[in-house]
Parts: sequence; structure tokens; C-alpha cells
Amino acid sequence: MTDHDNAYEGLLGGDDSQWAFGTDFEDPLAGVDTTIADGVDPAGLAAYCLMLGDDALVYSHRLSQWASNAPDLEDDIALANIALDLLGQARLLLARAAAADPTVVPVLPEGSPVPAEDALAFFRDEAGFRNVRLVEPEDADFGVTVARLLLFSTYRLALLERLRSSNDTVLAAIATKGVKEVAYHRDYAARWFLTLAQGTDESRRRLLAGLAVVWPLRAELFETHPVEATAAEEAFGVDPAVVADEVDLLLEQVLSVSGVERPDVRPTGPLGRGAGRDGRHTEAMGRMLAEMQVVARAHPQGRW
Amino acid sequence: MTAQTQETRPGDEGPDERPDEAALLAAFDATIARHDRIEPRDWMPEKYRSTLVRQIAQHAHSEIIGMQPEGNWITRAPSLRRKAILLAKVQDEAGHGLYLYSACETLGVSRQELTLKLIEGRQKYSSIFNYPTLSYADVGTIGWLVDGAAICNQVPLCRTSYGPYGRAMIRVCKEESFHQRQGFELLSTMMRGTEAQRAMVQESVDRFWWPALMMFGPPDDDSPNTEQSMAWGIKRDTNDELRQKFVDMSVPQAAALGVTLPDAGLVWNAERGHHDFTQPDWEEFYAVVKGSGPCNAQRIAHRRRAHEDGAWVRDAATAFARTQQETAS
Amino acid sequence: MTTTRTAPALETAKRVAAQVTDPEMPMLTLADLGVLRDVAVEDDAVTVTITPTYSGCPAMATMRDDLVHRLLDHGFDDVRVRVALTPAWSSDWISERGRQALRDHGLSAPGPAPAAGGPVPLTLRPTRRDLACPRCGSSATAVTSEFGPTACKAMYRCEDCLEPFEHVKEI
Repeated sequence: MTDHDNAYEGLLGGDDSQWAFGTDFEDPLAGVDTTIADGVDPAGLAAYCLMLGDDALVYSHRLSQWASNAPDLEDDIALANIALDLLGQARLLLARAAAADPTVVPVLPEGSPVPAEDALAFFRDEAGFRNVRLVEPEDADFGVTVARLLLFSTYRLALLERLRSSNDTVLAAIATKGVKEVAYHRDYAARWFLTLAQGTDESRRRLLAGLAVVWPLRAELFETHPVEATAAEEAFGVDPAVVADEVDLLLEQVLSVSGVERPDVRPTGPLGRGAGRDGRHTEAMGRMLAEMQVVARAHPQGRW
Repeated sequence: MTAQTQETRPGDEGPDERPDEAALLAAFDATIARHDRIEPRDWMPEKYRSTLVRQIAQHAHSEIIGMQPEGNWITRAPSLRRKAILLAKVQDEAGHGLYLYSACETLGVSRQELTLKLIEGRQKYSSIFNYPTLSYADVGTIGWLVDGAAICNQVPLCRTSYGPYGRAMIRVCKEESFHQRQGFELLSTMMRGTEAQRAMVQESVDRFWWPALMMFGPPDDDSPNTEQSMAWGIKRDTNDELRQKFVDMSVPQAAALGVTLPDAGLVWNAERGHHDFTQPDWEEFYAVVKGSGPCNAQRIAHRRRAHEDGAWVRDAATAFARTQQETAS
Repeated sequence: MTTTRTAPALETAKRVAAQVTDPEMPMLTLADLGVLRDVAVEDDAVTVTITPTYSGCPAMATMRDDLVHRLLDHGFDDVRVRVALTPAWSSDWISERGRQALRDHGLSAPGPAPAAGGPVPLTLRPTRRDLACPRCGSSATAVTSEFGPTACKAMYRCEDCLEPFEHVKEI
């Protein structure tokens, strides 16, 4: 029976190509045309891609922490899936940033084989990250995760839907693919939101507590950063302020079906004049990066 | 679960309509002899069923516990590509757990029941996961040696007599061999990196070689379950045969990588057409099986915590589904 | 470069590339999966264009390597693999032969993908699919997990023969 023998064959290297690896690093944008449209400032494009890429990278990291810890196997799988989709988007966006403006990539010692996406992820310091603060904190329980994922995916889906018509063809392509993925994430979050809201007293209590934790970080999502303003002007990006209403409408839809009131909490203010998009983060961010970057930084000449 | 439900198959019409047990057993034996599959709605001897439940559950538990040692490195993966590969792999393991628990459920036991047996220590999982992962190279070594050994154990199970188990194993094996390939590729990439990385790989292989050899179980003379399992087609090769096969295929791969397998007694025996090798420390094996491994307590405590922390979520889902059904009807 | 040399080379390159299989679902070739978009030969250089199924799909690097090695094995010295991000992969691109291969291996093939473009509506109810059990053909099937072991699959169970099976999702 062939099914029986195939796996052995693979093990023994019966197929010549099986162990013939070693084509070195795989750039996520290898073979993609990264020419920049006329009238687009490469530095602005790179800065904008870092924002979207860092949102996905940091949030993916947080979601990946559910692996082997989720309430049920199905959710372990789903959360890993979502983390993986976002990690894929992050890699494309960081690679896009590096291709548009190589000066955003941290300089590593001479001869280091570390590719640009990894230099950006593992060798930038905290202040260099451009993600919103919503994605940084560790979640105390699944209730917080569901609330945060609902906010994040609703926001991100609205941005990606518009980015499909970006004049940067790479960004438009990343967005087109991302829309299909994030739509799944939002449905997953919304269904759990409804389930927890109407499940048991305990689940409702925890969901409301979770919503109160993440709600204050919502306002920051829709504040227009100068980089985003330029991105919108030059037609490669989206001003998040313009999606605020539609995001709000969708959240309202989920909240009302679930019978949940908006939390009465004050928004988290900026830090001085800046917030996440300016590299000013929560305390959780530094600890997260310390863990995420530790192995890569111990081996600046390493090949992985 | 009561003895009564164990006796009946789902869909059975009750004792009155049951044909004579001897005729059923003869039909069952004939199916096994033809190397055909037994399916969930077929009659089967209770001992066959309970042996299968034990074996499939142990296998499912191994996938679930196996997520921990590798999951340990997801947040520290040193490149985004490796992070994606590792995350996808751990997710695959959860998926394999799901396949296998589903196969077990066709035998009339619930996942909840099996999970409780796991966290109460009443059912086992592969002892290999009671060893810690101490460097990123371990992610590669687990792929290469541990998944490699697992595939050797599992490939024959694709032909196992119980249909849902065999079909689950076909899918599991396909995905496992992809994992093994990725693990080997990580090690081979690291071996082309810095001196420190090569040392990390060798240290990792030194630690995992012996536990990997133990994965095939004790020597045949000491393996009580083998004979009946082989007769039923639940098991198809002996522990020692599989171990030999694994050693024979690992040797050229180690050479290709440029690592040394930590066994001075490992030599080619032209007469036998196989490698001679040193047996692992079976005292250590039995100690780990009995619970004294480096991570036994930690692995179970982790699983128990995740299960208990998630109880309110599962309760919510059950309650919500009930109200939905009530509203619908 | 002459057409007489290129035409057979192109045929060979197409044939070789079309035979490379998905690393996790080896019953499917990249061509059947719809991941293989184009094969071109110019001045003895082969350019293969593929597209990822999901952004985070960890099998992409492996697919690239397999394509390169298979073509090198068939005497092409210069092989390049291009990744096209647009148009985004859709499960509609899985060929009829691919769907049959899925069914033959006990998987359920995807139905028509949802229309692309415009805002995506929120769905608060699990996606309902009318599936037939790939083993016994019964339509009494129930979803057990919307996310399967790999991003592209959901898990189901047949209520009649009890077979657990996977469904390749519509995207």
C-alpha cells in the first residue's frame, strides 16, 4: 500500500530533493515586484508599513502565547491560526518597509546573515516599534482575548478593505489577501463575544471585565498620525479616522446582539505628545521584546 | 462509562436482535485475517475496543503534551520564518490530537473523559515529552529525531485494523514527515552558521539521542502487549525491529548534518546488514515512565491548569448552545 | 534562443513543475491546488510563478525549494521562482482533478468561494455548509472545528458512519 511506504521513503531520503535544502534564506517578498508608484515617498511608505506590520507582529506574538494553553483544542488551533495569519502579514509588511526604504533596517555587524525582516523584528529597540498600544498587554484570561481580538480585527479589517485599492501594488496585494484572513478572525471573535455574553453569569462577568480592560485603548486606533495622513494623501495608505464610524457601527452590532453596554471607562491618554505609533508603549512591551529578541540578539551572526 | 455501554456499539438495536457472539467473533477474526478494516459500527470484542481506546488515547495525549516542549520556544524563535514554522507545527499537533480524540470518540468514549484520565495520571503519553527543551536547537532535534522516531512507530499504524485510526494516521504521518523535514532543515542551517550554533546542535543531539531510542518501548522480551496487538493488527512491527530501522536511517542523516551520535558502540555490522548500537539506559526509561522524569510533574500541571482555566469558557459554550437549541425548537 | 529549442523546454518545465506536490497534502499537485500560476522559459531560464494560499503558510519555502530542485534535476540550470500576491488565491482554483484527489483521500472539497471585493459582512453564526461524508456519502454531517490542523481546513464528523473528516475551506 503506497500510503504506508511513502513516509518511509521520505525518511530515508528516497526522493533526491528531500534533503537538498539549503537555498538559504527565504525573503517573504522574494520574486515580488517592489517598484514604488510615482509620487509616493519611499520613507513615508516604509514608515506606514512598519505601523501595520508591527501591529500584526506584536499581536501575533501575544496570541501565540495561547499555544497549549487555550480553553479547548479547537481554540488552541484557531488562535494559533490567527497568530499565524498575522505573522504572515507582518513578514510581508516588514519586508515591504525594508524594500521601500532600507535605512529603516537596523545595521548589524559586518557579515551578518540576518535578513531585513528579522533585523526589524529582533534588533529594533522598543522605541523603534510603531504598533498601537492595544496589541501589547498580556491577556489575563480568554475574556480579555475575545474582547481585544474583536476590537483589533474589526479595526484591521476596515483598514485592509480600503488598502485593497492602495496605489502601492504590494500593499494592495497584502491587503487583498489579508481581508480574507482577518474576516475569519473577526467572525471568530464576534461569535465568542456573543457566546460568552450569553453563556453563563461567570462568562458574562469575565467578558465585561475584559471589555473594560481593552476599551480605553480603542481611541488611539483612530487618531491620525502624520505618517498616516501622508499615506492617505499620497493614496497608498488609509487615514484611520475615516474608518472610525464603520468600526463603531460593527462593534455596536456585536454589542447589541450580545446585550452588552459600552463600558463607561475613560480612554487611555497619550504619553506626553505621543503613543504607540510614536514609539511610546506600555510597560508590557519591553518585557515582551526582551523575551522575543533574546535568542536572535545572542547570535547576531547566526543562521536560522 | 458503564460496562453495559462498553458492550454495545453505537447503533446497536439492543440485546434481543444481537446475533450469536461466536458468529460475530468469527466474522471479526475473518475481517482481521483479510487485512480489512474494522469500522465504528462493526461488532468488535471488548478487549479489542479497550486496547484501541488505550492506544489511541495515549497517542492523542502525546500530541497534546508534545505541544509544550516545543511551545516553550515559540515566543523566543530567533527568526520570523522559524517562528511561523514552529507555530504551525505546534498547531498541527493540536490538530493531530483532535484527529485522534475524534477517532477515539468513534469507540464511544468522550474527549472530556480521556482528558480527565490524562490529568489524573490514569492514562499515559509518550515519555519523550518528559524531557526539557533547553535551546532552540532542540526544536530542530525534536523534528529530526523525535518526529523521525514517531514516524517509524506510526507509519505501520496507517495499516492498522481499525478504520478511523488508520485513516487518521495516514494524515498524521504526512504532516509529521513535513515536520521532520523542517527540523532537519533547521539543524542543517544552524550547522552552516556560527561555531556557537554548531555546538548548540551537537549538545542537543547528545541529549535527545538516548530518549529517542527509548521511544520504541522496552526490548521485545520485556514488552507484554506486543503479541496480542500484533495478532489484531493494531501493531505491526516489534519494538526492536523499529528501533533498528530508526538507527539505520539516522546514521547517514547524522553524517550529512555533520553531527556525531553519542554512542561509541555504534558501528556497521556487515554480517547483519544493520548497525550495532548501545541500548539506552532502561533503568532511566522505567523511572521516567513511572513519573520521575525531569518534566513529568510540570507537563501534567500545565495541562491541568489549561484545562481548569478553560472550564468556564467550555461551560459558556455549552450553555449558549443549549439556549440556542431551545430558541430554535 | 530558437523556438524549436524553447517549445519542448517549456513543455518539459511545465510538466515537471506541474508534478510537484503540496508538502502537507501530497495527494495534490501545486497545479491542482491552484498555487502554480505560470511557467515561462526564456533564454534557457525557467521562471515559475506561485501564489500563497494563506499569508502565513509555512509551506511556501518548501514549495519553492521543491520546484527549484525538481527543475534542476531535469537539467534546467537557471530556475527562478516568483511569488505573485495578486490575484489572491481562492479555493475556486483547485482543479476538478484536485477535488477528486481530495475526495479519494477522504477529504471534503470546498464549495464556491464567497465573492471578493466590497466590505465583508459580519457573520455571527457558524458557516453552514451542506457537506457529504467523503466516506459513506451521508449528508448528516456536523462541524467539529472551524479551524483544522492547517489554516485551510475545517473539521467535521459524519453522524451516520461516525467518520471524522476534514473539509477544505472556501476562501
